[in-house]
Amino acid sequence: MNNLWDFTGAEGAGYAQPAPLVPESDLSLATPLLRKDAPRWPRLSEPEMVRHYTNLSRRNFGIDTGFYPLGSCTMKHNPRVNEVIAQMPGICDIHPHQPEHHLQGLLSIFHEMQHMLAVCAGMDEVTLQPVAGAQGEFTAVRCIQEYFRERGEAQRTRIVVPDSAHGTNPASAAMAGFEIVEVPSTEDGRIDLEALAAVLDDTIAAMMITNPNTLGLFETDIAAAAELVHGVGGQMYYDGANFNAIIGRTSPGLMGFDAVHYNLHKTFSQPHGGGGPGSGPIGVKAHLAPFLPGPVVDVRAAEAGERTVESGRWFHWREPEHSIGKVQQWHGNAGAVVRCWAFYRRYGRDLRTMSEHAVLNANYLRHAIHREAKEAGVDHLFVDGARTDVAKHEFTLSMQPAKEALGVTAMDIAKGLLDMGYMAPTVYFPLVVPECLMIEPTETEAKDTLDQFAKDFVAVVGTDPATLHAAPVTTPVRRVDEVYAARNLCLRVPEEDL
Amino acid sequence: MVDQLPNLGREAEMLMAMGYASMDDLFSDVPVDVRMEEDLPLRPPQSEEEIIADARRLLGANVSLGSMASFIGAGLYRNHVPAAVFQLVTRGEFLTAYTPYQAEVSQGMLQAMWEFQGLISELVGLPVANLSVYDGSSAAAEAITCAVRVHGRKATQKGVVYVSELVPPDRWSVIHNYTQGGGIELRTLRHLEDGTVDPASVAEAAGACAVYVEQPNPLGLLDASLTSVKDAIGEHTAFIVGVNPVSLGLYEAPGHYGADIVVGEGQPFGSPMTAGGPIYGIFACSKAYMRQMPGRIVGRTIDEDEQTAYCLTLSTREQHIRRHRATSNLCTNETLIALMGAMHMSLLGPEGVRSLAVRNAAALHAVVQALEGVDGVEFVHPDGHHFNEIAVQLPGPAAACIEALEAHGVLPGFDLGRWSEARSNQLLVTATDQTRPEDIDRLASAMAAWCAEVVA
Ligand SMILES: Cc1ncc(COP(=O)(O)O)c(C=O)c1O
Repeated sequence: MNNLWDFTGAEGAGYAQPAPLVPESDLSLATPLLRKDAPRWPRLSEPEMVRHYTNLSRRNFGIDTGFYPLGSCTMKHNPRVNEVIAQMPGICDIHPHQPEHHLQGLLSIFHEMQHMLAVCAGMDEVTLQPVAGAQGEFTAVRCIQEYFRERGEAQRTRIVVPDSAHGTNPASAAMAGFEIVEVPSTEDGRIDLEALAAVLDDTIAAMMITNPNTLGLFETDIAAAAELVHGVGGQMYYDGANFNAIIGRTSPGLMGFDAVHYNLHKTFSQPHGGGGPGSGPIGVKAHLAPFLPGPVVDVRAAEAGERTVESGRWFHWREPEHSIGKVQQWHGNAGAVVRCWAFYRRYGRDLRTMSEHAVLNANYLRHAIHREAKEAGVDHLFVDGARTDVAKHEFTLSMQPAKEALGVTAMDIAKGLLDMGYMAPTVYFPLVVPECLMIEPTETEAKDTLDQFAKDFVAVVGTDPATLHAAPVTTPVRRVDEVYAARNLCLRVPEEDL
Repeated sequence: MVDQLPNLGREAEMLMAMGYASMDDLFSDVPVDVRMEEDLPLRPPQSEEEIIADARRLLGANVSLGSMASFIGAGLYRNHVPAAVFQLVTRGEFLTAYTPYQAEVSQGMLQAMWEFQGLISELVGLPVANLSVYDGSSAAAEAITCAVRVHGRKATQKGVVYVSELVPPDRWSVIHNYTQGGGIELRTLRHLEDGTVDPASVAEAAGACAVYVEQPNPLGLLDASLTSVKDAIGEHTAFIVGVNPVSLGLYEAPGHYGADIVVGEGQPFGSPMTAGGPIYGIFACSKAYMRQMPGRIVGRTIDEDEQTAYCLTLSTREQHIRRHRATSNLCTNETLIALMGAMHMSLLGPEGVRSLAVRNAAALHAVVQALEGVDGVEFVHPDGHHFNEIAVQLPGPAAACIEALEAHGVLPGFDLGRWSEARSNQLLVTATDQTRPEDIDRLASAMAAWCAEVVA
């Protein structure tokens, strides 16, 4: 298909603009800096542009086009009313530095979200500023760092992460200046308390972990792990990527965590947009609250003459006392927060039902896949990524047996699924499961879809290896050569095509 | 809620198929001592119609800038995003996809991001651009850590980076948070009275890992002397320039005057202000920095049939592979907003981007002309060339001015006292392509009335 530079419209083609307020000849422009050569951008009329991007979109797979069981990413349906709300001028056309009395509606939504997130996670205070999960991790780790500096415990320079952790956990901690201590998991994929105890001492600032873990298993020893870490004076950090599994059933607070991040784009359905935007608020227990990035939203009794959106309540910004400062220049991804607020309103206290259905669907799918595989006689070609009775919102399968028996890899299965019209599960993560497929259906998939996927998955597993190696064949392009991409770097339109 | 969960009412059937009796069985692995026993103390669920009504009421209570004569900017700019952009970007194939891990079914977004990289590369005059980072501030911060990784060994001033003293405190703070862990020392790059960089300060920076400066600077001032910075600091010190991308329709691309890395807030291309997010950060660099850059990048390649295809590349820099040795922790980014940027840029074309820049310059020119006639208002840098915004000195506190002008339906600008106490009588006045002549008239008359009152 064409790329943008294949469009060769006439000079001046494209979007027609009104005349400038002052003729250009009257402007005194900074002449020594004037641009000599215009950027060599393509020239498209609106009809061409619309068709170009429409055609591109047809070469892209989204939740709207089909089942998207991408483990760890919580690809649930994105309610459309959220998009309608996010286009309202009261969020689109406002500046973060307008006076508080211009922004009472936004502040009220922020306050409601801070409160709801704190309640669900069992935390005391929340900031909405971080714009993605990884930035939330980084922010929380910075708060922990300043907390210890303030207490005269600057020797705490190390952070523990399990070997099954998502890559952002060690990356975020390292960016804040911490040394990473990786601890192995047990054979069934859970925390190894002995291995953990062995690395703990007074140089440990925190442990970062997600629960359910990246294998989709609940960490049954989480309270004991928290006790060990707290025992040496460290903090417990909860990676909230898997929060969709537990809302209303347990909370990081109950498990003994001191800080959490939320991936609002996952749990609260900000559309993932082909890679972003997200929103990654963090919640903390009271002792870390003074270090949060500022400002956060607070509320006080309204004074006479103040035009409130909630009777008697005036919302205002507040700077935490020992704030680490800012991680985003403004107030985070406010537009995403508003969408997620609309999502929250749809569930209210029934968020618990949402999580239950996420877990129901994952377990149902896992059972269905095993059952279908047995019937089809292909159950010897894969095993559970970790032994367990129940999974939470996602589960892992290891294709190691298929690799050994037939030379079929997890990637081959993934590509075979693309031919069946599905997005592939997450592959090769977590690293602790060989030939891993990580499957997360989410609560918004119907039973019929799950049944059909189980059948189709098993059909793919039973497909002959040569066909799988050649897959996909029905997609806009065939298997893409990543090695060629890396060896022949072409990161922009080549000169000769301009 | 009932319209969102397709399996409501089918729980028993599904549980039975697994041999379970109740939902509790699926949570039997949650130890008793960490279970939440009570219902969540939250509000009851709402229907779509009730949510819309509440959203209208709450968001409707915000004062949107279109309802005033607004001159607030300071890093975010009111623009017109062409209608086609909104129509296209909400297509589900773009909106509801995620990171293109499976290239074969993600060619649309991959190609669009490869095109975005090309548009940015051309705009800033550097060969490599990634598919965006969170925002302009983290782009600046990540550019600094990138430069330190590249120059750390050869730099004679180890770990030292010079950052323009005019960088607003909020951005400084982001930069500080991102850099403090790497043992990076931030020193201030000074500016002269006239707002241009101090050549003596630039000379001091030679041998440091990097210099970070903005063009136009945060007071809207263009600085022609930046074209000689690279020569002064030398090969082993990265010259990082933060830009307002619209200005590059008219003014020289920093890549053409020696910048090694160009970053900036992409928002004016494609995205409304949205209270400051989601927006997107531009990140472009020369080849020497490519393998140390943060974020995702798309390469053009071939598929098995040797057809043109696109995929993520240079991934070994990233956290999912390199973990704690990654160049950045970036995972979820701002792809969709960058896509809006690409769409906007593709509609503008080379002449359109120039026209857009001229319109922005013209709007500011009209504001300056109108304020010149107001007694009591002076320009902080009267001889400088400005783009999008200009700092004005008032006869009283900017905060009081903003408060007083509200009665006239005017938001006259940003209170520079928020950046430094010494500037509390200064206002940063911003004009863009959305500034209307009648807004400017209202600004001038309201300002004149207020100044007269203050002076009297
Ligand atoms: C387990 C886990 N932790 C952290 C993250 C990082 O979150 P984000 O992509 O929002 O930065 C992710 C997701 O991508 C994840 O799956």
